[in-house]
Amino acid sequence: MQISVMPKTNLTMSTRTNYSIQQTPHFQILSDNQKERIYNGMLRTLQYTGANVHHEGARELFKKAGCKVDGIKVFFPSEVITNALATVPPVTEVFPWNGDESKKITIEKDRSYFGPGPTPPNFIDPDTLERRPYIRKDASTVARVCDALPNMGYVQSLGSISDVSNGLADVYEFADMVRNTTTPIMSWSFTRNGCRDIHRMAIAMAGGEEEFRHRPNYIFYGEPISPLVSDFHAIDKCMYCAENRIPQVYSPCAIGGGTVPATHAGQLVVALSESMVGVIASQLISPGTSVIIGGVQSILDMRNSIYSYGAPELSLLSAAHTEVVHYCGLPMYSQSGCTDTKKMDIQSAMEAALSINAAMMSGANFVHDNGYTESGMTGDIFQAVMADELIGMARIIEAGIEVNEETLAVDVIKNVGSGGHYLYEDHTMKWFRKHWQPTLMDRNSYESWQEKGQKTMKDRIIEKTRNLIDNYEGPNNEVPENADQEIEKILQEAEVRIKNDPES
Amino acid sequence: MNIDFERISELITKGQIEQLQEQTNQAIETGTEPAILLNKGLLPGMDKVGQLWRNGDMFMPEVLRSAKAMSKAMDILRPHLSKDDMGSAGKMVLGTVAGDLHDIGKDLAGMMFEGAGYEVLNIGIDQPNEAFVNAAIEHKPDVLGMSALLTTTMPRMGEVINSLKESGIRDEMAVIIGGAPVTKEFADEIGADLYAPNAGSAVELTKQYFAQNNS
Ligand code: B12
Repeated sequence: MQISVMPKTNLTMSTRTNYSIQQTPHFQILSDNQKERIYNGMLRTLQYTGANVHHEGARELFKKAGCKVDGIKVFFPSEVITNALATVPPVTEVFPWNGDESKKITIEKDRSYFGPGPTPPNFIDPDTLERRPYIRKDASTVARVCDALPNMGYVQSLGSISDVSNGLADVYEFADMVRNTTTPIMSWSFTRNGCRDIHRMAIAMAGGEEEFRHRPNYIFYGEPISPLVSDFHAIDKCMYCAENRIPQVYSPCAIGGGTVPATHAGQLVVALSESMVGVIASQLISPGTSVIIGGVQSILDMRNSIYSYGAPELSLLSAAHTEVVHYCGLPMYSQSGCTDTKKMDIQSAMEAALSINAAMMSGANFVHDNGYTESGMTGDIFQAVMADELIGMARIIEAGIEVNEETLAVDVIKNVGSGGHYLYEDHTMKWFRKHWQPTLMDRNSYESWQEKGQKTMKDRIIEKTRNLIDNYEGPNNEVPENADQEIEKILQEAEVRIKNDPES
Repeated sequence: MNIDFERISELITKGQIEQLQEQTNQAIETGTEPAILLNKGLLPGMDKVGQLWRNGDMFMPEVLRSAKAMSKAMDILRPHLSKDDMGSAGKMVLGTVAGDLHDIGKDLAGMMFEGAGYEVLNIGIDQPNEAFVNAAIEHKPDVLGMSALLTTTMPRMGEVINSLKESGIRDEMAVIIGGAPVTKEFADEIGADLYAPNAGSAVELTKQYFAQNNS
């Protein structure tokens, strides 16, 4: 069966906002004064409370830069922080490995990219719709489906592979995903060794180390620990990325009322402080290397003790965080399209719709977790497919309204006058295609809906998703043979590494 | 002196730590039987907390505060209580397994056990297998709790249980495990005695377990 895939275009992937003819309708949560106070809260925290850094090399680095180090605790004077912020690049580009310009990512203030999320242990089986452990073949499924979805600007796996050698889920995931999508991947790893393996694969895909430096083709994702801890591996991986000029995210999963204060302002102070440790490390090692912060910001549900991925606070916190992160001059890693439900249902759609629109209107740059269900415990490709449609709708709102002579159409209005219609007008011909067209939403008349099988949204999501899984091939056959062989070799070497040292 | 047990229960449900400590000290000083204080004042207070929690009238932080109050009162009472007085509420060793840095779920579980009168030794995150075994040998807990939030670190729990067997102390304690990816099936597979899907049910399940196994 032939299947047509909507191309990723500048409109679907990212909108260059705020240009003169068009005002982007972003909302604002915080006043300038509030942003400044949260920012200063971060400066006060890092200077007087400090953060634990479980990495001798990193502590040395901070000490040399003028930080006070007491045991594992590091206190950061504000000039160390402002110096680091000053060297974060305003713009960095990430290139699809096949050179497809339409999928290029520009990490820059006014652009936004949505994508799935990393590493839940479970996956909704595409055939049975039941929850089961995430397995190796799911990684390429997610990569392929997201490759085809017009609004997925970057890709994460929606799972952690359970059926490969313990400790190699990260490496296998990248190996399989990169060969099944040209949309840039956001990868993760357990340790520096995993980072290195992934990086070698990316270099193979880029066609060499020099080529990678000019045209990086993926982004790395790592996490500090709330409250105020950078564990050894987190900061070690951050340092590796900086050394190799790999664009990276360094952001916590802060749990409001649990690992950070229950007040949103307090949560943002702690979360910002934790991320800043990675920003400083990255810029000390390699000034001008790309770093993105933000992270999962939500609350602990105090009745069920779960970290809520559907809470309205998630959207509020993330939007406010976006403003503070932009205030620092950094790109923001936000989240949306996620839910606390266990099965595709009305709640999953409600929570996704609200959070996607909020993330879009907040102006966040990378928005992850589109496709997370069960509070981050289960990845769901169906949820991602649904989110793709919602992101498309939200983009239309975010694109705002163009107002100029042509769009005011006063002459056309005069032409048609009172009564009559616009259907024959050249002006209509020219403009109507800018209206958004659904791929999932039902706008049939009752009769044609009946004729077409009375499908519900759930039926249509399942149908579209399975259709992509079964029929969309993705770029697998375009992978250069030498890169393919190199990846297989790296996997074999990784097996040896993990066999010799399971902790490596 | 007449001790107002209802007042003591209320201090527990309201989580008024200092006042409860005062009242407990006073009660002991004036010769109240510790076991009676426990059974008529403190435990009914915690039962009420459990009830309010199940009905959705109390939230986690409030429950934890009550648990803290209970635990502080128990610190005062414990030296005066015999093993029999304490019922199943004894000692617990608790930690997150090696390679795992997830903290908060384990802490919640620990606080709930404290609330049930347990003396909880929280050995922290990223604890190597030997740390669990050594703590078990040293402290002779009634319950050993392990937490894992990563599918990659869950196997450590089975390894700890095996080490406990090798050290010949496996049967001296109940092993309870938890953490978001952990399941009842996994607990059965590795030979843990108990699995709890959340901190609230953990204490309840443990009580039931001891009630069945000690009778
Ligand atoms: C917060 C969080 C973090 C924080 C932890 C901060 C902290 N101070 O604890 C940070 C950022 C450090 C972190 C790091 C990582 N994390 Co994490 N994390 C989470 C998250 C979002 C929430 C966990 C949480 O605290 N929940 C709230 C608490 C209250 O719930 P809980 O822990 O489940 O505990 C309850 C019960 O399980 C039970 N319980 C827990 N322990 C015990 C013990 C006993 C004895 C008993 C009786 C009961 C019990 O009672 C608790 C209360 O009811 C989960 C997602 C999720 N939904 O769970 C991912 C998650 C667990 N993390 C995950 C991953 C992948 C990681 C990283 C590898 C990410 C990376 N790329 O670096 C690292 C690993 C670091 C390491 N070596 O451990 C994955 C796990 C995937 C897998 N295959 O197992 C998850 C599922 C997220 C995801 N979808 O990707 N994480």
